[in-house]
Amino acid sequence: MTAKKRILLIDDDKDFLMATKFILEKGGYEVFLAEDGKTGVEMVKTVKPNCAIVDMMMETWGEGFNVVTKVRSSEGGKELPLIILSAVDLQGPYQSYEPSDEFPKVNMVLHKPIKGDDLVRYIEQLTSSE
Amino acid sequence: METRNETPLILIIDDEESIRDGCTQALEKSGYSVITTADGRDGIQIAREKKPVIVFVDLKMPSISGMEVIDILSQEHPHMVLVVITGYASIVSAVEAMKKGAYDYLPKPFSPDQLRAVTKRGLDHHRLTLEAHRLREEKEQMQRSFITFVSHEMRSPLVTIQQYMEALKAVAGQCLTPEGLNMLERCDQRISGLHNLIEHWMDISRIENGSFAQNRELLDPRTVIRQSVDEMRPACERRDLVLRTNLTEDLPTFVGDEESIVRVLSNIIGNAIKYTPSGGHIDVAADCDDHYVIITITDSGSGIPADKLPFIFEPFYRVKGKAEREHGSGLGLTFCRKIVEAHNGMIDVESEEGKGTTFLLRFPR
Repeated sequence: MTAKKRILLIDDDKDFLMATKFILEKGGYEVFLAEDGKTGVEMVKTVKPNCAIVDMMMETWGEGFNVVTKVRSSEGGKELPLIILSAVDLQGPYQSYEPSDEFPKVNMVLHKPIKGDDLVRYIEQLTSSE
Repeated sequence: METRNETPLILIIDDEESIRDGCTQALEKSGYSVITTADGRDGIQIAREKKPVIVFVDLKMPSISGMEVIDILSQEHPHMVLVVITGYASIVSAVEAMKKGAYDYLPKPFSPDQLRAVTKRGLDHHRLTLEAHRLREEKEQMQRSFITFVSHEMRSPLVTIQQYMEALKAVAGQCLTPEGLNMLERCDQRISGLHNLIEHWMDISRIENGSFAQNRELLDPRTVIRQSVDEMRPACERRDLVLRTNLTEDLPTFVGDEESIVRVLSNIIGNAIKYTPSGGHIDVAADCDDHYVIITITDSGSGIPADKLPFIFEPFYRVKGKAEREHGSGLGLTFCRKIVEAHNGMIDVESEEGKGTTFLLRFPR
């Protein structure tokens, strides 16, 4: 049996972490949780996940963006498949928060809440190329 | 912007040399910086560049009149304190100047003490105006962040509940009976409804405090109608409703925010879908008259009783006893009216029970 793929979840809402953990474990992944950005960035190095999911709006506005920037510039983080999850509609008044060209690329931006099947399918897509 | 610690700068515009010299002496003695000029146009230029706190303006000057100077400066620099210098004979003009935006007047002849008193009062007024301005901006900023904060606090728990329900389906879905799954589905729908309510409430709050993001651009009515019709077509097909458009050629453009207008139209079409029985139709048409671009949305639905019509744009108003397939937020039409009014437009409704309803939107062309 091949080892389970590792998914790192970074979100400051404990309950959201737990709910998503259940979904992903059911989907056959090993799940690691980080409740703040700093821990999350550390865990990218120690856990070496196959994919990381970052909430855009942790603590303060755009904290998730900082996390993504740090992950991208850290060892092993350059090629890591990254998903930004956001409860905020990236349309309309928040358009300015849409990642700009200089912003380190994320592989996917998804909206919270997300259907369990969809999340598992997206992660499958992102990690299958490895 | 001048800082409070600097010596306040005062500008004197008067064609009489003795007045300029007298004022300069009296004011400099009290620690103010003074610039003078004999010419109104020159004065306006200096005021633009140096941004004095107070400007004394003589009403009777040879080239440009003091009244014109007051008029221009009060419009360009609303916080600049303008004081009219005038002879006893022209009190009437002093009053007129104050209507144009002057703060005070100083009748000739005046003593240095009178000049200093008016100056001090003017400075106090200036300080208070700036303070009030700052407080108002602070308050508006707080209101704006309050809406963002509250909406985040309200949405987060909903998102988490929905995610837990997804988790429940993933973990225990196979053990649940169809009935149990249906209950989860109902919960999900009701929470989505609450979600929409929060979104609508936020939009309305934003419109009310002026922070609703609005682009102003020239819109082609056909483009916005097509967008919303495309968006709503799947929902119509699900309900077995025909959605038709009838757009006059050569429609004029109107000024508006594309996203908001599309949402208004989608909202009204969404309402029509809710109240129109299967097999019915919804028609979206666009036309114009000399002043307005007119968009109408007509359905073959159940109609609204005449005595209820005046209230349907009120928040949370529901027409009792109507067979509604699903609950809306109760704010949809309120949102529509606010958006249309923010575009200087009008929204009206005509309806006949059992026959259908027509919404009429007018936007200035």
